Amino acid sequence: MAMSFEWPWQYRFPPFFTLQPNMDTRQKQLAAWCSLVLSFCRLHKQSSMTVMEAQESPLFNNVKLQRKLPVESIQIVLEELRKKGNLEWLDKNKSSFLIMWRRPEEWGKLIYQWVSRSGQNNSVFTLYELTCGEDTEDEEFHGLDEATLLRALQALQQEHKAEIITVSDGRGVKFF
Amino acid sequence: MLGVGDFYYELGVQIIEVCLALKHRNGGLITLEELHQQVLKGRGKFAQDVSQDDLIRAIKKLKALGTGFSIIPVGGTYLIQSVPAELNMDHTVVLQLAEKSGYVTVSDIKATLKWETERARQVLEHLLKEGLAWLDLQAPGEAHYWLPALFTDLYSQEITADEAREALP
Repeated sequence: MAMSFEWPWQYRFPPFFTLQPNMDTRQKQLAAWCSLVLSFCRLHKQSSMTVMEAQESPLFNNVKLQRKLPVESIQIVLEELRKKGNLEWLDKNKSSFLIMWRRPEEWGKLIYQWVSRSGQNNSVFTLYELTCGEDTEDEEFHGLDEATLLRALQALQQEHKAEIITVSDGRGVKFF
Repeated sequence: MLGVGDFYYELGVQIIEVCLALKHRNGGLITLEELHQQVLKGRGKFAQDVSQDDLIRAIKKLKALGTGFSIIPVGGTYLIQSVPAELNMDHTVVLQLAEKSGYVTVSDIKATLKWETERARQVLEHLLKEGLAWLDLQAPGEAHYWLPALFTDLYSQEITADEAREALP
């Protein structure tokens, strides 16, 4: 897990792990945290997490610096991400969440662009074909996790650009 | 006075650009060293070399124009203030105290400056309010107040694309 991830300067700045009392400073702090969470999860290909995992992850716990973001503040960061559309709670107790470094609408747009570009409107795909098929190897959404994919397709469905259907052994989607 | 094409005029413009780009990180307070590094970076290989004295001269000219710049002596060097925050002598003296380690505590202030607790607290609250300091509640002993402007790790940080955009008028 120790890949060459470039931590931002704030990560080595001790007060970054204390929720700032000054509102302007807090806004900057939260924006930096949101950005850090998304790039960390993107690099580590992590699409979901529990709050317990988050607390102990190097993301919120800088062992070398001896600072960790307290759980109440982690909750505030997660709420910011939810408001921005990058996070969805997976349970009522808010103990685990889906994290999407790109919002579902943005993924939906990319997928639909590929469908149109390759002249495949009115075609049917299985979810597997979309994210693991040869045809999509060069696309950014290749390898996308199923939970995020479904939400992306749901976004397209809302725009009447797609319909999620049942196929022989699971789910698929038809594009219009 | 300054004239267009004047060396110090152009340098002044560069200084303003760097300060604008980094303002959201350090609240408008920057060490002369960091300013110097960033200005040199922006000048490229073929530009005339610039010394710290040149920077001070250019900033003094900017001051004379009423731009809100001020120069604060701290521990043998200077802090350059580019955003007109309300800083009085008490604030300045605490900044000087913070220069050594990048942070300051109420105890540091009481021990070195012999102030009452309340006076020390007021100054630190003000620095927080002006966005010049951040609060650290996980430091050993008592709350530490850190100044991003003095955080030496920042020196190695490139100005990001977002920050460069901030610098455009």
